[in-house]
Amino acid sequence: MVQTSSGPGPYIYVSTRLRVRKAKLLASEEYQRMLNMSLPEIIRLIGETEYQKEVDELGTSFEGIDLIEEALSWNLAKEYQKVIELAPGALKEFTMAYLRRWDIYNVLTILRGKMQGMKEGKIKEVLIPAGSLDRTTLDRILKEESCERVADSLKSWKMYPIIAAEITEGCSVGSFSKLENELYKRLYADLLQVGKEGLKGGDQFLKFVQLEIDVKNIKTLFRMRGDGSEEDAKKFFIPGATFSPEELQHMNQMASRDEVIDTLSSKIKGKSIQVALEELRTEKSEQEVDAELTRTQLERMEQLSKINPFSIHPILVFLEKKKHEVFNLLAIARGKESRLSSETIEKYLVI
Amino acid sequence: MAAELMTVEVATATAAGMKAIGAGIAVGLTGIASGIGEMAIGSAAVGAVAENKDMFGLALVFTVLPETIVIFGLVVALLIMFQ
Repeated sequence: MVQTSSGPGPYIYVSTRLRVRKAKLLASEEYQRMLNMSLPEIIRLIGETEYQKEVDELGTSFEGIDLIEEALSWNLAKEYQKVIELAPGALKEFTMAYLRRWDIYNVLTILRGKMQGMKEGKIKEVLIPAGSLDRTTLDRILKEESCERVADSLKSWKMYPIIAAEITEGCSVGSFSKLENELYKRLYADLLQVGKEGLKGGDQFLKFVQLEIDVKNIKTLFRMRGDGSEEDAKKFFIPGATFSPEELQHMNQMASRDEVIDTLSSKIKGKSIQVALEELRTEKSEQEVDAELTRTQLERMEQLSKINPFSIHPILVFLEKKKHEVFNLLAIARGKESRLSSETIEKYLVI
Repeated sequence: MAAELMTVEVATATAAGMKAIGAGIAVGLTGIASGIGEMAIGSAAVGAVAENKDMFGLALVFTVLPETIVIFGLVVALLIMFQ
């Protein structure tokens, strides 16, 4: 269908729809309630929310944790595809570019699943076909037996050259962390490129990408410092935002945590991030740092969506919040299945 | 004398014409302004109703709020025409 509509109407329409959808997401009190429930009770509760259709459809084929995993990933993929359908003009380009990260997630999940000898059905449960690789393509890839054959079946994928360069080493070592780093670096380079292509609203998309790169780099920096790793950290950082990999490498070698936070705060924009950095002055666990920074990123994205109410920001805020809702529910379900305490599970939630 | 009479007639006709143009502008411009306002509100209202049917009544009220601008325009036009 050729889109002939112009003016701000379609932008306002889609932004409002996604704002309403965002308002329908689970509130933090719901998570608190779930933490005190058993797994069957959680399934029943999830079945009464926006996930009802998926839980009803899959209820006959799956049960327990499998049902939750499958229903949540189906719902997430469906919601994402719906957003792509709704988004007008350039916003569709940006949304599709943002969702390409799920291709990386799916490919790495398949590769890791194959390496660990997991069954096809079990891997399929956790795939989220929201990117350019659709369900049919992923099913075809899943049927491949070995790790190398999985890589060969991805020849038509945009990121195949990176897979081709790294797969041999990954398959022989049994770890795909290097491949993962390279794929994400390429993804962010592509996203920056999309933002700079001159499409309407590109500046706003660029702001989001740079914010995400900054947050990811800061998370990596704190993780590296936590591990006390002295190796060349430059290759783990993503270029293109506030800090260059060299600057981050320099900060990684600084002795004092305060000095690192001072250097970060002096350059980074956005008051919410500066406040979050101040909170990190006290020693915290890796998990707490991660959750704090993720919350800050979401907060900053909310601010941006209020500054630019009819742009890509309301869409991105919904996509990110929806992702965290699904991850929170998965964390609760998996935690309950493994009989973890509510306090331990709570640490993994982004509320 | 004839020339003077003609001038008064022309002046009267011109004044009536100017009144009609003024009334037209008052209604026309306020109509356009309402349309611009309703375009944004209407898009948002349809978006909100598509997600939540319960919002229909509220959305409709908000959508027609800019109509008040046309009513102001109409009142001004009537005042110009019939004063």
